[in-house]
Amino acid sequence: MDLQFLEIIPQMGPMLWGALNTIYVGLLACGVGLIIGTGLLFLRNSRFRLLRILVGIYGSFIRGTPALVQILVLYFVLAPLTGLNIGPFTAGILAIGFNSGAYVAEILRGGLSRIPPGQWEAARALGLPDYKIWFKIILPQVFYSVIPILVGEFTMVIKLTPLLSTITLVELTRSSQMLYNETFRPVEVLILAAVIYFIICFSISQYGEHLQRRSVKYRL
Amino acid sequence: MTFDYMAIWNNRDILIDGVLTTLLVSTIAIPIGICIGIAICMMRISENRLLRWSAIGYIEVIRNIPFLILIFLVFYALPFYGMRISGLATGFICLSIYGGAYFAEIFRGGIQSVATGQFDASKALGLKYSFYMRRVIFPQLYQYIIPPGTNIALTMIKESSLLSMITVAELTYAAHDVNGRTFTPIETFTTIALLYWLISTLFLKLTHILQVKFGIEDAQDGLAIR
Repeated sequence: MDLQFLEIIPQMGPMLWGALNTIYVGLLACGVGLIIGTGLLFLRNSRFRLLRILVGIYGSFIRGTPALVQILVLYFVLAPLTGLNIGPFTAGILAIGFNSGAYVAEILRGGLSRIPPGQWEAARALGLPDYKIWFKIILPQVFYSVIPILVGEFTMVIKLTPLLSTITLVELTRSSQMLYNETFRPVEVLILAAVIYFIICFSISQYGEHLQRRSVKYRL
Repeated sequence: MTFDYMAIWNNRDILIDGVLTTLLVSTIAIPIGICIGIAICMMRISENRLLRWSAIGYIEVIRNIPFLILIFLVFYALPFYGMRISGLATGFICLSIYGGAYFAEIFRGGIQSVATGQFDASKALGLKYSFYMRRVIFPQLYQYIIPPGTNIALTMIKESSLLSMITVAELTYAAHDVNGRTFTPIETFTTIALLYWLISTLFLKLTHILQVKFGIEDAQDGLAIR
């Protein structure tokens, strides 16, 4: 069977719209992930042992269960249990954000461990209060040093978004499914979808590697 | 709100079959993925430009498209070309292809971490490429490849949940099945989440034993990265 891309390309409008939606959802989920990751970083360094244990359990759960199952649990379990009536869009962003947050916390922890102890000592010697040490001294350096890795995490988030098609969020995968159900040309449509995903993820990951090279070059 | 965990218990056969299928898919796909990974890695580091660039293309394409798209593509494309294979076989193929690309990068990273003097010394001794790769370089790789390899293997176990979308009756599919029969989404999905968690934890414990055996310290720390 020959592939007939010329038949499909004029009908790609919804797919491109879906691609934009994928990026939009990815950005929002990444934002949620950053917030949760930073929160987890604080909890991990907290004085209370219980909180540290809870963070460990959370990380182990996120790492130990598939993202698809996490999305299903959030959409079908947490939403009814808490009585919140959240749609697929919110649920999807939250689920991917929760997933990404655990990994972002690990990335930030790696960045934090590279901050020289002199920074803490100097800040304390200057008599800065704890919250100022964190927000003005430590966190800016941590975030700056892990930017290339966070960019890589963003491609991971983009690669998680197709799972949201299972809870009826219309992103690139869902819109391609709708297109090949109309046109009966799944192979062409899926190849085009793969090309779009490749362009998105490859350009982001190349940008991340570029940042990595640059940061290595300018690191003291 | 009442919970009906009897519904899960009454349908335990379906879930147990699901767990077994998940384990079956993973235990077959992970070794095949490692083999593909070694082959692709050898192509990636070869002198031949054609081999090298096709390996780079394979790795970059697989790593930059979502696994779901790969599954759908293989699942819909093969019948068009006259290959009628079951969802389970498609699952093995996709999972191995997917794992192969990641394993290839891990092996390459490991080989690059081996001191270059080892290569020079082997060449100076007049050893053949295939011989020194097998007997000199490869045995040194364990400490570099086991921690990240564990991650990829765990990712493959987790990604096997996506095979539920192409009608492979693994754990997630079993959950949808039980949910369809009993209308107990809360109980079903929490149960399978716990089962997946159990499988991953046991798997990590097993690989931890392996890491201790090979004397790799700081092993659990490497598991944090995707």
